[in-house]
Amino acid sequence: MAATITLWWTLHAWRTPQTLYATRFAPPDGSHGHTFSLLLPARHEEAVLAQTVRKLLQSRHQGFELILIVGHDDPATATVAHELAAEHSQVSVIVDHHAVKNKPKALNTALPSCTGDIVGVFDAEDQVHPDLLTHVDYAFRTTDATVVQGGVQLINFHSNWFSVRNCLEYFFWFRSRLHLQAQRGFIPLGGNTVFVRANTLREVGGWDPQCLAEDCDLGVRLSSIGCKVVVAYDALLVTREETPDTATALFKQRTRWNQGFLQVLRKGDWRQLPSRRQRLLARYTLASPFVQAFTGVTTLAGFTMAVLFNLPAGIALLSYLPLLPTVGNLFFEVIGLHDFGRQYGLRIRAVDYAKLIAGAPVYMLLLAGAATRAVFREWRGRRDWELTRHVGAHLLPDVPTPAAADA
Amino acid sequence: MTVVTEAPAAAVPPARPEPPTAPAVLARRRVRADRPLLLGLTAFAALAHGVNFGAGPVFGADEGTYLAQAWAVREGIGLAHYTYWYDHPPFGWIQLAALGWLPDLVLSGSPALVAGRAAMMVFALTSVVLLYLVARRLRLAPWAAATAVALFVLSPLALALHRQVYLDNIAVTWLLGALLLALSRRRHLWHYIGAGGCAAGAVLSKETILLAVPAVALAIWRCSHRSTRAFCLTGFVAAFVLTLSVYPLYAALKGELMPGDGHVSLLGAAFHQVAGRHSSGSVFDVGSDSYRTVDAWLYQDPVIVLAGAAASALALTVRRLRAPAVAAMVISLMGLRPGGYLPAMHIAQALPFYALCLAGLAHTAVVLFRRGAWAPPRLRLPVRLAALALAGALALAVGVSWHDGNRRLWRDDANAEYAAAGRWVRDHVHADGTRIVVDDALWPDMVRAGFNPGTGAIWFYKLDLDPAVMIHLPGGWRDLHYVVVTPMMRQRPAGLPTLTEAITRSDVVAAFGEGEERIEVRRVHADLREATP
Repeated sequence: MAATITLWWTLHAWRTPQTLYATRFAPPDGSHGHTFSLLLPARHEEAVLAQTVRKLLQSRHQGFELILIVGHDDPATATVAHELAAEHSQVSVIVDHHAVKNKPKALNTALPSCTGDIVGVFDAEDQVHPDLLTHVDYAFRTTDATVVQGGVQLINFHSNWFSVRNCLEYFFWFRSRLHLQAQRGFIPLGGNTVFVRANTLREVGGWDPQCLAEDCDLGVRLSSIGCKVVVAYDALLVTREETPDTATALFKQRTRWNQGFLQVLRKGDWRQLPSRRQRLLARYTLASPFVQAFTGVTTLAGFTMAVLFNLPAGIALLSYLPLLPTVGNLFFEVIGLHDFGRQYGLRIRAVDYAKLIAGAPVYMLLLAGAATRAVFREWRGRRDWELTRHVGAHLLPDVPTPAAADA
Repeated sequence: MTVVTEAPAAAVPPARPEPPTAPAVLARRRVRADRPLLLGLTAFAALAHGVNFGAGPVFGADEGTYLAQAWAVREGIGLAHYTYWYDHPPFGWIQLAALGWLPDLVLSGSPALVAGRAAMMVFALTSVVLLYLVARRLRLAPWAAATAVALFVLSPLALALHRQVYLDNIAVTWLLGALLLALSRRRHLWHYIGAGGCAAGAVLSKETILLAVPAVALAIWRCSHRSTRAFCLTGFVAAFVLTLSVYPLYAALKGELMPGDGHVSLLGAAFHQVAGRHSSGSVFDVGSDSYRTVDAWLYQDPVIVLAGAAASALALTVRRLRAPAVAAMVISLMGLRPGGYLPAMHIAQALPFYALCLAGLAHTAVVLFRRGAWAPPRLRLPVRLAALALAGALALAVGVSWHDGNRRLWRDDANAEYAAAGRWVRDHVHADGTRIVVDDALWPDMVRAGFNPGTGAIWFYKLDLDPAVMIHLPGGWRDLHYVVVTPMMRQRPAGLPTLTEAITRSDVVAAFGEGEERIEVRRVHADLREATP
């Protein structure tokens, strides 16, 4: 049941040719009407920061300021940031003096300094397309959106055994699922490439400094007060990121997200959503990492046990049925991976497909583990921030541009 | 300082291709006539099927088997009344079992086969509705869609086959459902997933229809939009494969997937069906079984068989008809392949596609005829009238050729002897502890009359072939009490010694009918029989 719902939502974008078409960015008219304040919190990310900033500065929309947020205890990153600020007039640096640091605190520190009418968030390792701001500007002008969520895509699918699955998760989430959430009026926002009108952001008091999934929380709060969120996806314009570099890092990252989702669920801002259907969707969305993880593992375990313990064929067959949507999902992941490769101009080899399929059960176990750990940590009251380390695997070797892919 | 100089606009030319316009929903060509026309056609089909449905045609050899298997499913005994040996996937008679309540509602006390045929009407009528809708989605005009339905319903060959309890009819219903979903107007991904499920339902009802499934994939390929095509085909394949996987999984769970000593197996049965089965010979070899089968089809209705086959070959050249044409061609060629086994109901799978191709070609011809600058304007009216007259004459000729066959189906009672024999046994033989050997058409009735299924009412094949039955008969023919000899039993293959012995050493106690069709109830000689346990 849960797996069928997930499958239905995952495949939302491809439901009909019309829905697929509706997920595109509208082509902009070329004029620029908004100014942006782009926030870029960086922590121990001196290796990737300079390149990210230079790339951002290539934007064809020049009405923006770039605010780098660094910690007072992180001199290496701060040095790079100050050098960049000295080089470029659009760049400024804000130092975060909080004793215990996390991303929402850093963002809140910078919020008062923002002068643009739109606040955008990026991460230090993001690769941003030069046309992105133009499109976002157009989206704000042509819709009455309060929030525009752009696409984010993990690119380094070949790095290790789980990265191909991790990349695909992002692909399906931004390509498909998020559009459905936006359409239904309840959306947990992503952590970056998210743009919010500055006034609204100040009115709601910025980000929740205690929340481990501040992005999700912001989306829920904005949805709850009826703000319109527009999601626009284009393979050309997505912000490129990298997967966590080890399975442990991924495990920790997922724990943090899941715990964040739990916190948002417990905070209960979603109860203010106007319709019952939206509240149900909110409850399901926020609980889905847990539902998904546990149903996946239990159905697999149920079927394995039925076979191992030689239960009657009828019962074993019954225990097989819940597996069908999960296995069906694998088929779509294979074709999704193909589509992913085509859209991003990446060569997907047979071994990647093999990794995708062979990695499925282990990945499922890992997610279930992370979900369990999140519940456990929340229960024990441990809410510290476990940051994902970035090494820049998506920058090296040079990622082919989508332009080349389309040729 | 800005970085504009570092990244001049010209250096990175805008790579965005002009976005195409939004893909449109395929036009709904529903016309006002559709609904009443469909209702009328369905009512008409119900009438054509319903009149005299239990009495014609004569009960076929396999009908009783499927009904007995359905009975076993319904009673919770298993997938078959004897050992299930993977002869066919069981979904067909599972559906029959699920529909078992329906005939009981309207007919009680009639022979089991009549009840089974009442259940088959559900599939026949569903097929009629689906056929019409498929024709409309292939963009045929309502009159052409109605023509397809008329061919499908009124051909005496089709009418006879559709009345009979054949798995092929069930599979055809599912396949038409798959085709309808494949031609989704909204081009909805979940319609294609549904098409995969339906196609699997068809194959699980009768495995040989597997060959027609690529035609559904072709329809999806042609109908879906370029932007979502890959996902649509994936959805179709995933749903098809996963639904189908239940069957081998069942076999594997029972330890009956691989052939082995001392147990039945799916692969063993599949191998038997494909290669091991007695060949029906070549159709072109007068005297072969295949020749006789095809000859019987042609005798019942040469129109739909010959014209349909020709039309399906021609329809391959017409774009919109390609999917049904491919299905029809594949099924026909499969039947014609030399050295294979050709069952008498094989043609049932091709009939809806023959009908679609014939009606589709008629539609195409009319469109070309109307559009073409084939004659100077002043000649057009007379030529049109002549064409109309020709079409009318053709329809009349076809109608006349169908007349005899359909009249037999609507009037004659071909199964009166069966019914009488069943009644006689019920009234005159004490069921308790009695062993009676019957064919599969009578078997369900014997069980209903109180004979112990499997060991009391014994299907004649099993006497000599099923160890599970033979173990109950240590004395061979001596342990039997009655044999009901029917036409079906007279055509038995050689190598059933116990049955032959029992028939020779028995006396006729009641007989029904004459000549070839005669049914005899025979009592095995009591004085020769040793005491039975």
